[in-house]
Amino acid sequence: MGNKKMKGLAQQEQSLATKLLLPTFLILLLLAAYPLIQVFYTSFTDKRFAGVNKTNFIGLKNYQKLLSFTIKEIDPKTQRAIDVLPRRPIRFKELSRINIFGKHYIIGASDVEFIKSIKDTITFSFWSVLLETILGLIVALVVNSNFRGKGAMRAIMLVPWAIITVVSARMWGWMFQSTRIGFFNSLLSQLGIGNGNISFLTNEAWQMPSIIAIDVWKTTPFMALLLLAGLQVIPGSLYEAAEVDGAGKIRQFFSITLPLLKPAIAIALVFRTLDALRVFDLFQVLLSTRRFSMASYNYAQLINYRNMGMASSIGVIIFILIFGFAITYIKMLGVDDE
Amino acid sequence: MIMSKKTKKILGKVGLWTMVILIFVYMLFPFYWAIISSLKTEAQLQMMPATFIPRDPMTHKISFSFKNYISVFQNIGFIRGLWNSTIVATTTTVLSLIVGAFAAFALGKLRFKGKRIALYTILSMTMFPQVTVLTGLYAVVNVLGISAMPSMILSYMIFTLPFTTWVLTSFFKDLPVELMQSAQVDGATPFQSFKYVLLPLTAPALVTTGLLAFISAWNEYLFALTFTSIEPTARTVPIAIALFSGKIARQEPFGEIMAAAVVVTIPIIILVLFFQKRIVAGLTAGAVKG
Repeated sequence: MGNKKMKGLAQQEQSLATKLLLPTFLILLLLAAYPLIQVFYTSFTDKRFAGVNKTNFIGLKNYQKLLSFTIKEIDPKTQRAIDVLPRRPIRFKELSRINIFGKHYIIGASDVEFIKSIKDTITFSFWSVLLETILGLIVALVVNSNFRGKGAMRAIMLVPWAIITVVSARMWGWMFQSTRIGFFNSLLSQLGIGNGNISFLTNEAWQMPSIIAIDVWKTTPFMALLLLAGLQVIPGSLYEAAEVDGAGKIRQFFSITLPLLKPAIAIALVFRTLDALRVFDLFQVLLSTRRFSMASYNYAQLINYRNMGMASSIGVIIFILIFGFAITYIKMLGVDDE
Repeated sequence: MIMSKKTKKILGKVGLWTMVILIFVYMLFPFYWAIISSLKTEAQLQMMPATFIPRDPMTHKISFSFKNYISVFQNIGFIRGLWNSTIVATTTTVLSLIVGAFAAFALGKLRFKGKRIALYTILSMTMFPQVTVLTGLYAVVNVLGISAMPSMILSYMIFTLPFTTWVLTSFFKDLPVELMQSAQVDGATPFQSFKYVLLPLTAPALVTTGLLAFISAWNEYLFALTFTSIEPTARTVPIAIALFSGKIARQEPFGEIMAAAVVVTIPIIILVLFFQKRIVAGLTAGAVKG
């Protein structure tokens, strides 16, 4: 009798679970599965965004246009980029030049902007994740130690994170003004560095460091929060034991804190890297079409140029790239060990 | 050199407090700069070098101006953006909590086949690049013929729903099994024990998770920008601020932008400060326990 009741309950649970999960899966199917298939298909077409023209199936042409590049030798004295780079069937433009043992080479790509956006996005992700991991760790360690007002400090540390990304972009954009109206130029010129007219957001050399600085400020709290959570799991008795054994603070950090914090760091790294690779708001608001991230280039192709087919191919490429990163990362860091 | 224990302790204290002050300044300074900029007049904003406190350009005496705030509150686009954002973020949050709580209860407390797969499918959604689905999502919305506001609500669930489900699942898991068993002994069906016993107990978790989902929906930019590109009246706050361009086209109204920035940030900061302890707990449960 009791057994029968248990069986009934199990069945009841099974069917209830199905019913309860149904809405979630329907929504995710509609929002993710269908669009993904649609994007994949559209990427092989020349579909226009909000266009009336007939859509044609064009195979791999979008991908070819996005990813083709070539290396040619060039004599910088007599030749121009246009003389050496192929123009048919697709036109190649200059991406960069290299010099190996006195021989000059030119790298051409058929979509220079896209290749640059990949490079810029990866550079951006690398530096901002590295810096915010270090800063986040410092903040977490400080906030985790004992001092009066640490509760207040823990709350304050969340402020940058609570600010809308677009808003923080505008705030920093204002501080990065290209004259001494802006905070940074004012400060630097008072310190005697620079001429007070550094154009942080229009000068190509300054764009990347500026954007990275904004992102690091905005997301360090999130990193610190995840690491703080990890720190609080480490039992205090370990430190007491180390103290008794005469290990100094630095020694304690490297032989207790860091190894035990590894899982938390790994998870935070994965989260943040994937996020950074998708960066959109910052680039769109502050650099618009002057410089692209992969996502903002995708957006420009879709909305500004109405190349829906091309935009879809970019989406697929980003998806594959990020997926690849996620897998390697998780394997490398052993996140799924547990 | 051998330091006495006392000097070492004092040095440690000094070091710690230096760090605390540095972090404090680093975290808050940009927001402080936005506040003082919002209180400056056009002439004060153009002063070189920039002043740390709004000062009169002629006499250099401290002088504040609330002109920017007045014009921000007279800006219809901004007010409408606030209203739109509130509706979109609130609806998204409520829907994600309801749907997410159902799924989380199933995943956290019920025994059924295919649980692992279900959990991982939902988790994998959080790793999704939003841009990838942008074009496809746009097509879905077009086919269904829904307008900008519901499109945003629906599309935001792509990131809020996996998140709420994920975090709530770990909360449900942590509730003692005996609670459900005793309810069942009393003759309650599993759904009844969920509705009357477990759900009320997760109320605090629902609030925290809801807050985090609300912030991410309030923050969203990419989908909003796309879906409102042909329907400007549906613009949300992030879009309104990004496109801020005062009454006169000749230059960007930075004072007003900063005032708008302060206006939208303060409620969120108050919310975050109020819930900060819970946020730490919520993220710990979701992220580290996984």
